[in-house]
Formats: sequence, C-alpha cells, structure tokens
Amino acid sequence: MHGYEFYVDPSRCIGCQSCVKACEECDTHRGTSMINFDFIDRGGTTASAAYVCWHCEEPTCAMACPTDAIKKGDDGIVQSSLEPRCIGCSNCVLACPFGIPKIFPEYEQMMKCDMCYDRTSVGKRPMCATVCPSQALSYVRPDGIAGRREKPTNVFQFGNQKVVTLVHMMVPAGTDSVSLDVLDYMWEGAYVAFAQPQ
Amino acid sequence: MAKLERYQQRRGLVAIDGAMALIFILLIVQIWLLGATLEAFLAGHAGAVLPAAICSGLVFLGCVALDLFVTRVDQESRKP
Amino acid sequence: MSLLPSPSKEPLWREEFSVFTSDERYVTRRQFAKFLTLTSLGMFVGNLWVLAKAHFAKTPSFPSVEVGEVDEIPVRGIKLFTYPTPKDHCILIRTGEDQYVAYSQKCTHLSCAVYFSAIEDRLECPCHQGFFSVRDGSVLQGPPPRPLPQITLERNGARLLAVGLKGS
Repeated sequence: MHGYEFYVDPSRCIGCQSCVKACEECDTHRGTSMINFDFIDRGGTTASAAYVCWHCEEPTCAMACPTDAIKKGDDGIVQSSLEPRCIGCSNCVLACPFGIPKIFPEYEQMMKCDMCYDRTSVGKRPMCATVCPSQALSYVRPDGIAGRREKPTNVFQFGNQKVVTLVHMMVPAGTDSVSLDVLDYMWEGAYVAFAQPQ
Repeated sequence: MAKLERYQQRRGLVAIDGAMALIFILLIVQIWLLGATLEAFLAGHAGAVLPAAICSGLVFLGCVALDLFVTRVDQESRKP
Repeated sequence: MSLLPSPSKEPLWREEFSVFTSDERYVTRRQFAKFLTLTSLGMFVGNLWVLAKAHFAKTPSFPSVEVGEVDEIPVRGIKLFTYPTPKDHCILIRTGEDQYVAYSQKCTHLSCAVYFSAIEDRLECPCHQGFFSVRDGSVLQGPPPRPLPQITLERNGARLLAVGLKGS
C-alpha cells in the first residue's frame, strides 16, 4: 500500500520480541500480540523467527471460513475476522498453510495480524516493522530492499497448493519459491523424492 | 501497491450502471401504468385495461432482458 | 444465444459470499437488478388482475324501491330519496307533466350534495360551482370530471319505482 511492501527475513531475527510487545500496543486488540513468534528449536539453538500474516492473494483461511467472517479488501490486506460473524470454529487455524490465525476461546473469536490497517491505510508503517531493530520485519519500498543479499519472493508451495502472498520472504538469491511441505525438509532421500510438488 | 484495485479494474462497469438506470426508469413507467390503468378501470373506461396489460407485460420483459444483460456482463468481467 | 448468461464454473454460494470485498459489492448490484425485475413482475401481475376484474365483472343487480307517488311533487319540483342503499342519497325531479328524472345527489367532483335550480333548470353543486344537465346528468360547467349517475325509473300504476343505476 502506498508503494510499500512488507519483507520478512527470519535469518535477521535476534529474538528480542520487540515486535511482539509493539504489536500489543495496537488499540484494536490491546494487550494481545498478533505476531507469530517462533522459537525454532529452543533446546538446540537460539535462532528465532517472527512472522506476520502473509496476506495471501487467495486466502485459504477466508475460503475455509464457514461464516464468511474473513474478508480481503481491494488493497490486498486480509482483515482479521469480523466480530459479529466469527464463531471460533478454528477452521481458519487448521486451513492456514502458515499457521497464522489464533483462536481465543474465552471470547470465541479468531484474531490475526491485519498489517496494522489503521496505520498502513494512511501510509504509516506497521508497529512491528517500526520497532524491529534488525529489520527482520521491514516495511519499505522495493528499492529499499534491493540492496540486501537475499532476494524477496512471495510464492510458496504448500503440497499441491501454490500460495501467492502479499508479504515477501527474503530467501537466497536464485530461489523462486519456498516450499512449505514438511516432507521436503526431511533428510530421508526417498521421502523427499516422493513429496516433490507437482 | 503492486496489486491493482480489483473493483476499479472491473470491465463493463459503465454498461452495468447504464442497464441498472434503465431498469429503474422502466419500473417508474410501470408503476405509473398500473396507477393509470386502475384509475381508468374504476372510472368505467374498461377499454384501456387490455392495452395497458400488454404494455406492462412488454415493460416487464424489457426488465428481464436487462437483468440477464447485467448478469452476463458481470460474469464476463469476472473472468480473469 | 450470446445474450444469455452462461452457467458459471464457480458455485453460486462462492460468488454471492465472496471473500473479496470488491466482488461482494458487485453481487449486491446484481441482486438489486433481480429485485427490480421482481418488482416489475409484481406490477405486471397487478395489471393482469385489473384485466381479470374487467373481464369477469358481473353486471350488478339492483333492487326495486318505491320512490313516491305520481303527482306527489309539482312540476319542476324535487324529492329526495335513497337508492340503492340508505346511504346513497338521490334526487327526483319532475321535469314535465309526465316526465321524471332521478340522479345520485353526490357530485362527481368531491361528493357535495347537488341541488336543483329551477331558475337555471340545472343541477348545481354549491361547493365549486359544478353544474349538471337535468336531461342526462352530463357536466355543463365546473370541476366535476364525470356525469351524475342516473337512476332508472319505472312507473307502476300510480307509483314510481327506482330500478337501476347507470354510470357509477
């Protein structure tokens, strides 16, 4: 929106959780962070990754919603669930390839990142991108990201489903899509061969 | 934004708006026709009732045609 | 025919409850067009109903009611009576020795009671100066849009009977 794009580079994440705390400040869901913060292998490494909603072009969560509570606007942002419609069924939680939506059973509502719509719709940066010290989460114009060694991609393979997103992921140069199938990352050669996306 | 505005990009927008306006005008005509027919009938001039019914039928068919047109243009514009 | 919409490959529920807000707005417009067409159908049905009424209307039958005696009123005199129901006020006028006419007293403009003006030899409505002819009740002047409904009279010996209503 307004010429800016959102870039996520998990390799830059230092695990400070500033994004988590900054997201909590948002008035629309005060006190609850919408950042999906992942300790990748807590016992084995200090590596971490912070993710926001990827705002897919054909949002699987929205397609799976039985009450038509998740809407995607003209600007490409997939809004969080509409409060009167959401019944807390968790369909979206199960459907999302990235595991972004969160269910809050105490008030039967799903909430997720909406890229700080109150800020981005008027040209400001989302809270997480504003505070991230290593710019693992960054909201810049495409020429602002061109200087990095990693290159952005927004195409993901999730089994047989090709997911194109609004948010870009920084990947090694030359990678055209990111595969989300967990079998792809297993070292057993036979499984890998079987699970190649079509 | 890399993604263009879907709504503004919609083709056939002008055609649909025009057809909707036309349907609305036809409806106003039909409402008047019904009122005039009823008045004429109650005043005793029953001769005007049959032509009025035929006209009303034609106007209704016009509305149906325009509705099909709107649906068709809408479907066409949704094709990627 | 290329004019008709082709069956869409997306199921209808997915089109009508679209995930994309821009498509949602559009379906609303399409639904509105359908609603207007339905209203048009309603109007057409209304017209058909009027047509049916006109076609199958049965000729009303009127009672026979005694109005008065012959020679009860003088020439160019009047008598008020009610016909066919007690609420319908009528006026009987003896226009000649053997000539009687009777009309509904309700002016066809705004239902004021008309009176017979012997001087002018016409029926007059005092409210807006509407004048009716005594011969046939047609409008001579003024705002009334239709002639006065006329009562058919019959003579039975010495009695005058009202047997029908014309033009209302």
